[in-house]
Amino acid sequence: MSTIPETTRKYDLAFARWVRDNVDGGERMNMCMQCGVCSGSCPLGDHMEDGPRKIFMMVRAGMKEAVLSSNSWRSCVSCYNCVVRCPRKVPVKYILQGLGGLAVREGYAEGAKSDNGAFGRAFWKTIVATGRIDERTFTIRYFYNVGGMTGLIKKGMANMHAAMGLVKTKRMPVFAMPDKIRKRSELKAILDKAVEIQARRGAE
Amino acid sequence: MSKKYTFYPGCSSEGSGMHLDRSTRAIAPKLGIELEDIDDWNCCGASVGHLEGGRLGQAALSGRNLAQAQSQGPQDVVTACAACYLNTHHTNEDIREDEGFKAEVNEALGAAGKSYDGGLHVRHMCEVLVNDVGMDKIREQVTNPLSGLKVAGYIGCQTVRPFAGTERGGNYAEYDDPDFLDDFIEATGAEAVEFKNKTSCCGGAVSVIDPDKTLHLMKRILDEAKDMEADVIATPCPLCQTNVEIYQKNVNDKFGTDFNIPVVFHSQLMAVAFGLDPIKDAAFDQNIIKADVVMEKAKK
Repeated sequence: MSTIPETTRKYDLAFARWVRDNVDGGERMNMCMQCGVCSGSCPLGDHMEDGPRKIFMMVRAGMKEAVLSSNSWRSCVSCYNCVVRCPRKVPVKYILQGLGGLAVREGYAEGAKSDNGAFGRAFWKTIVATGRIDERTFTIRYFYNVGGMTGLIKKGMANMHAAMGLVKTKRMPVFAMPDKIRKRSELKAILDKAVEIQARRGAE
Repeated sequence: MSKKYTFYPGCSSEGSGMHLDRSTRAIAPKLGIELEDIDDWNCCGASVGHLEGGRLGQAALSGRNLAQAQSQGPQDVVTACAACYLNTHHTNEDIREDEGFKAEVNEALGAAGKSYDGGLHVRHMCEVLVNDVGMDKIREQVTNPLSGLKVAGYIGCQTVRPFAGTERGGNYAEYDDPDFLDDFIEATGAEAVEFKNKTSCCGGAVSVIDPDKTLHLMKRILDEAKDMEADVIATPCPLCQTNVEIYQKNVNDKFGTDFNIPVVFHSQLMAVAFGLDPIKDAAFDQNIIKADVVMEKAKK
C-alpha cells in the first residue's frame, strides 16, 4: 500500500513534505535555489526529460505523477558531480535516485518496465537469494526481466562480444559454481526486516 | 612493520574485476599492508540495490558487513572497489551521524542477532596508499621502473566523489583535478600524460544497462588518451576498467574509430614496477585488450 499522499490541488505541499521526510537526502531539498549547476554538470543531462533542477521544482509544485513518471533518474550515472558541486549542499543524486526507486516500487509503468527497473529488480533478487552479485546469473536474470526469452536472446546477442572477452580472460568463468555467501538465511532475515521497517514507516 | 586492515573485496573481485583483486593482494605485502578479508562478506548494493531494496535495505547490506568486520577487530576497513567504498563509507557515516538511522539499521541487524555501533572507519585503498603508506615508500619498492611508458591516469567518479575531499574520506584529493593517480604512475617510473578527463564518467551502471546511451562518454576518454599518445589507460575503478575495455568495439562500431587501447589498473603497473610476476601477481592475463607494452617491461 502506497503511503505517498495524493495531491488535490496545484502547489499542494503534501508531496514535497513527504519527500522531505522520507527520501534519503530529502531534508535538504528545500535548500535548492534553482541555480542548475546539477543539471549542467550531469554527463547525461541531455537524455533527461527534466533534469534534477526541474525535478526539484516539480516536487515543490506537488507534481507527484509527473515526477514519478519522469525518465530523468534513469540517466543518472551516479557520478556525484551534482553532489560535490551543489553550492547549497543538496545531495542531488541521492534524492533523484530515491525518487527513481519510488517509481519502480510504486509500479509507475515507465520506470518499473524500463531497463533500469529490470536491472534494479534483478540486482536485488540476486542479492537476496545469494548475498553476492554473480555477474553470470545476475546478467541472465536482468536480460530475462527486460523481456522474457526474447529479451534474453536480444540482449544476449547484443552483448556477445563483451561477454566473450570476459569469458576468455576468466573474468566470467563458465563452469565455476555461482558466487554466494554461506549465511544466506541470516542475510535474508536482515533484509526482510529492513523492508518491513521501511513499510512500517511508509518510507521510500 | 606492517599494518593490518580488514579487507572488503566486493563482488567484482570474483568476476569482471578479478585482476584488480589479484594485483592489489600482490602489492599489499610490499607496502606493509596486511589484509584480512571480512568473513562471508556480502554485496554492497552498488548503484542500483536501493531501487528495489530501498535506502534501508541497501544500508542493511553494509550493516551486515560492518558488524562482521567489527567482530574481527577495530582495525580500519579498506576496499579497492569504488562502489563498495562509496556505499559502505556512506552508510557508516550515516550510522555515526544519525541516531534514528543507526537504530533502524540495528533493528534490521537484530533479526540475525547482530549489531553495529558505527565505531569503524571505512577507507579506499587509494587513500590508504596516499595517507598511510606514502609516496616515498611506494617509490622505494620500485626495482623495475616502467621507463618510457606513457599512461593516461583515469580515476573515474566514485573513488573520489563525493568523499575524497572530506575529513573522514582522508582529505587526499580534489574533485576535478586529483593528483594521486598521476603520482602513483610517476612513482612506477612511467610518464603520466596530461589528462583532463581524469574524473569524467564512463557511464557506470548505465553503460551496463544500455551501453548505446553512454558510448559517447567513453569515446571522450579514449579520444583524449589517444590524442595524448598514451600507451595505456590506468584506473583504480573496476567498473571503469571493464566498461572502457569491453565497449571499445562498440565505440568503434558506432563512431568509426579504431581504438585498441589497453585499460589497466594502477595496481597492475605497480606490481610490474615492484619486480613482481606480470601474470601471477599483476594478473595481466585477465586484460582483454592485451597490455603487451607493459608486460614487455616486466623483469625477466
